[in-house]
Amino acid sequence: MSELFAYEDDREKGNAARVRALEALLIKKGVLGSDSVDTVLRHFETVAGPFNGARIVARAWTDPAYKQRLLDDTPKAIAELGFPLGMDGAEGEHMKAVANTADTHNLIICTLCSCYPWPVLGLPPYWYKDPVFRARGVREPRAVLREFGVPIAQEKEVKVWDSSAQIRWFVIPERPRHTEHLDEAALAALVTPEAMMGVALVSAPAAA
Amino acid sequence: MFTRFEEYAANQMLGQPDSPPRSDGRLYFSEEWQRTVFGMALALSKAGHFEWEDFRQRLIHSIAAWERDACDGQTTWDYYDRYTLALVAVLEEYGVLRSGELEQQLND
Repeated sequence: MSELFAYEDDREKGNAARVRALEALLIKKGVLGSDSVDTVLRHFETVAGPFNGARIVARAWTDPAYKQRLLDDTPKAIAELGFPLGMDGAEGEHMKAVANTADTHNLIICTLCSCYPWPVLGLPPYWYKDPVFRARGVREPRAVLREFGVPIAQEKEVKVWDSSAQIRWFVIPERPRHTEHLDEAALAALVTPEAMMGVALVSAPAAA
Repeated sequence: MFTRFEEYAANQMLGQPDSPPRSDGRLYFSEEWQRTVFGMALALSKAGHFEWEDFRQRLIHSIAAWERDACDGQTTWDYYDRYTLALVAVLEEYGVLRSGELEQQLND
């Protein structure tokens, strides 16, 4: 057993050394800039990702007029937040927000995941493109939601939206109770990609 | 559809056999070298040193080779282990690296 772990640890160190050597070699050859890696990754870490969608949701929670504009004309309302170039453009232009309410729960599926607006919602989880999830999401959304730990009361309507090249849907989840004291940034930190697909609810922080 | 190379590149992989690990909508790296090698492949392809699709095909091939290994000789699954192999292979194929050049650097 310990030998097995020792081997894995060696491989980990070996890969780390290999990647370091590769980076040094490519920089020495002038093929790779010394900051190229960070520049590329910055795109995923600060420019395009689920933090954009979370900001949109948090604004909608704190500003009812903004929420209405978001529902009426989603791309225009997203553009108001001044995201980096492209976040409200190439992908955002077809976006449409739907709001969960006391009477309605929204679930987003996608038949063509190439249409998934990940610069706003984040990279989709592996099951999202699974044909079984897609088929069951349409046929028995309540059962699927129950399996996700989101049981929906019978009297509440469940609406299923299929994202396509024409419209990429996202959910404005309900603001959790007891979060009146939180500011917009603290609220945004509560919003998960799954909540914006409708397969999760947003909970208040444990300490609240 | 995607105006940025980074988005095009990631999007090509989603839902495919070479789809990268992710957690809560973000790329997931358990070690710094994984983040470095992921970023290197993107930066190099973005700069025109190889076609992204050619790298992807090597990555898919490298993943398939791991899956074909008999249980006895199989190492535990590590996406970025496969990714590193594929990157070196495509760099050698495009002549960015000479065969054996990385080993030489490692021994220096």
